[in-house]
Amino acid sequence: MSTVIGKNVYRVDGQEKVKGKALYTGDLKLPGMVHGKVLRCPYTHARIRRIDGGKAETIPGVLGVLTRDNLKLATPYLGGIIKDQPVLALEKARYAGDVVAVVAAVDERVAEEALKAIEVDYEELPTAMSVEEALSPNAPLVHEKIERSRPPSYGRGASYIVHEHSNICHHFHYERGDINEGFHRSDFVFEDEFIYPTAQHYPMESTISIASFEGDSVTVWSPSQTPFSVRQEISRVFGMPLSRIRVIVPHVGGGYGGAKGGLPSILAVALSRHVRRPVRVAFSAEENFKTICQPLIKIVLKTGIKKDGTFLARRSEVYLNAGAYVYSTPSVAEKAGYRAHGPYHIPHVQTDSYAVYTNTVPAGAFRGFGGHQAAFAYESQADIIAHRLGMDPIELRRRNLLGRGEEYAPGDTPIDCDLKGMLDELAEAIEWDKKEESPKGSRFKRAKGIACAVKDGGGSGKSASASVRIMSDGSAVLATGSVEIGQGVRTTMMQIAAEELTLPVDKVEVAELDTHTTPFDHSTNASSATIVMGQAVLRAARDARAQLLSTAASSLGVPVEQVQLREGRIIVKEKSWSFPEIMRLCFANVGGEVVGRGSFNQTRDENVPLGQRSPFWEVGFGGAEVEVDEWTGTVRILKYVSVTDAGKMIHPLHCRGQDEGAVLFGIGLSLYEELLYEDGRLANPNLIDYRLPRFRDLPHSFASRIREDGGGPGPYGAKGIGEGGILGVAPAICNAVFNATGVRIRQVPLKGERVWRALGKPAAKTTVQNS
Amino acid sequence: MDENLVPVHFRLNGQQHAMQVPSHELLIDLIRDRIGLTGTKRSCDMEICGSCTVLLDGKAVSSCSLFAFDVDGKEVLTIEGLASEGVLHPLQEAFIQYGGFQCGFCTPGMILLAKSLLDEKPVPTEEEVREYMDANLCRCTGYQMIIESVAAAAEKMRRKT
Repeated sequence: MSTVIGKNVYRVDGQEKVKGKALYTGDLKLPGMVHGKVLRCPYTHARIRRIDGGKAETIPGVLGVLTRDNLKLATPYLGGIIKDQPVLALEKARYAGDVVAVVAAVDERVAEEALKAIEVDYEELPTAMSVEEALSPNAPLVHEKIERSRPPSYGRGASYIVHEHSNICHHFHYERGDINEGFHRSDFVFEDEFIYPTAQHYPMESTISIASFEGDSVTVWSPSQTPFSVRQEISRVFGMPLSRIRVIVPHVGGGYGGAKGGLPSILAVALSRHVRRPVRVAFSAEENFKTICQPLIKIVLKTGIKKDGTFLARRSEVYLNAGAYVYSTPSVAEKAGYRAHGPYHIPHVQTDSYAVYTNTVPAGAFRGFGGHQAAFAYESQADIIAHRLGMDPIELRRRNLLGRGEEYAPGDTPIDCDLKGMLDELAEAIEWDKKEESPKGSRFKRAKGIACAVKDGGGSGKSASASVRIMSDGSAVLATGSVEIGQGVRTTMMQIAAEELTLPVDKVEVAELDTHTTPFDHSTNASSATIVMGQAVLRAARDARAQLLSTAASSLGVPVEQVQLREGRIIVKEKSWSFPEIMRLCFANVGGEVVGRGSFNQTRDENVPLGQRSPFWEVGFGGAEVEVDEWTGTVRILKYVSVTDAGKMIHPLHCRGQDEGAVLFGIGLSLYEELLYEDGRLANPNLIDYRLPRFRDLPHSFASRIREDGGGPGPYGAKGIGEGGILGVAPAICNAVFNATGVRIRQVPLKGERVWRALGKPAAKTTVQNS
Repeated sequence: MDENLVPVHFRLNGQQHAMQVPSHELLIDLIRDRIGLTGTKRSCDMEICGSCTVLLDGKAVSSCSLFAFDVDGKEVLTIEGLASEGVLHPLQEAFIQYGGFQCGFCTPGMILLAKSLLDEKPVPTEEEVREYMDANLCRCTGYQMIIESVAAAAEKMRRKT
């Protein structure tokens, strides 16, 4: 009988957080700690002829200045998939904001004074800001040479195409069936272009790290979602053994994919090694905007259908503006391309997805990871198709949705949820049959729209391990590398361990994440922790339990089959012992512990397009009711319904928090958020000019319906739900705007001006061919 | 560096303080660096997000955009001063129980803003909660559960009195 699974137990970090006692990286003060600041290139693309930090070094309070000339590294480039980002700019800077030099000083003010004293001679170079510019015949190359460290190992139907002397840094190709045949047999072919903007993650806690060298070892405090990768990068760049690098993750003030622990950790380590003091590198909010962003994605979708609405063929061309350095953008490109078919049965598919270097802020992972952009395209187009056929959008989707157990792509994990059931629930929740009437002659037009989306959830290349130690007094400590970024993962993992050991939740502590003592974990992203780490924790707890039972059996001199664990007691026939009693018995009062281990590893499979089976399918169905002000173009969301499937909720309150938070993320991106450039520089790198969603943006009627249809690969049938909510937002809103006004908008965010201008234009941009 | 020092006297979380502060020093730096209370968080640094909210004579203000000397003769409450003798304030309790936070970075400011609201209006309507709380930003929760937390705390406080 489950005691804690599915219960809203108090979160393990609750007290600290509401009392203001939770320590985030920026709250830490080390003895002798000094402050690092970054000199950034003001030009969009510039050769660095000369750089001289000599004068800056003489300023009182300055401890050291690092430039390309005195920074000695084992290898100068950072990066995962492609090693393209110099720690400090070498021959040139590639975007306005690129890191050119760093200083360490006694305080931030002195450090900022020192930055002004660094002399740099720049020679401006031609620029490429957009994908179109970067792909034009005479475009300047952002990177003359691209060093690919690990070529992707795709499986059936997928391939990777290299472009030499091009700004294309990643090209993912996938196909199945025969695309030409598919279009040939189609009654109609629709072609549309959609644009989803570049945006900032804006975790409330800015990018920050602290590094402290002692002898040949370094300790780093970093709010990273990938502390083990940070350790790996430090090892590679500074030529240090992993055993001498310790990364500690304090409380983290939000993540959303923003890679906020990486670059500042490297800079802090470089400075700390140079000045032999602990160094804190904290980026300002504006610097955060200039460090990483969501890539702008353009999707050209060509879909062939039969007269009755059956999908036959889809060709997707996806272009991502990767910015000056790629971070995870190649993976986003691959996923956006792979996800562009949507949750539908489409026999003939062809996708080409390109990540393209430009002279803009580096792009990377962002909550949704290509999934919400792809969904915006295919779910907008689904409504375009339904409208053209005079079909109900729900009906069109019902006809094409994949059923449970059907393959999304041959070889990959079959669909593990009831999409058609969710569609019914969405229609009921948004009251689809009750058409909203706009008052006659009113400037305010109301209507509803829906969207259905899935993404392959759980990530790629995942490897996770956990340990559960049962102490001599019967309490337990759980060590997991999953980063608590707010989602509640420490509480979830604690619940799993407590459930398996039949312990009360207050007997299980979750240790602070420290790469010296915490078992390895690949990363906390892709809605993966409950599934990936959850399985590792489950196994670790079961391993600990099995060891406890067998140790008890040999201490008691009974066969292990006779020993049982129930409600926190070890039971042999009619006798029972508490955990402390049995631990005392087993370890004869000297103390001791049982250490359980568990792990989870994704394995390669040639038969799967992406080379690995998706751990599960994450679902995001959305329904929106909007009101459009025809005079101003303002779009207001009156009602929003999100329908998703958690398989099994381990902590229902936190599941709801994930889904609602993801929807609000989607609302921000759909209505307001967009990074803008002027003269090659970011024009709105602050919260006055960049509009985040606020309380007033929360629809007055807002519901998150989380189903528990089981069938997830995680503990007790759980699936991840960190990103589902974001998937359907933009298309549901744009479909509602169309239903309200008759105007189709293919680019978000739906700022008033954009909508107002669109309302004034009769043009419909869909190309429809009768074949 | 030449520092113009200004004498300030103020109460912080019930304790009297008297000190000399540089004329350029911001209230957030006084609280975080000089006094060492790090519950007050810095984020946007331009009075938009409200992570740095403290109560000045009971009213919510952004400590990133006030000078330290502005508190002279005043009463400041930070998140550390909200729980009395280890007992959580009903707002703190409700934020845990109703999921009013995730990463927790905006939470000190959010709870203090809510306190300022409930001090002004002990039984606010949902509309009033939304309007008042609109001053602060949260990137995690989606806001609904903050509204529910504030409503639950208001209800609990109403029943107590």
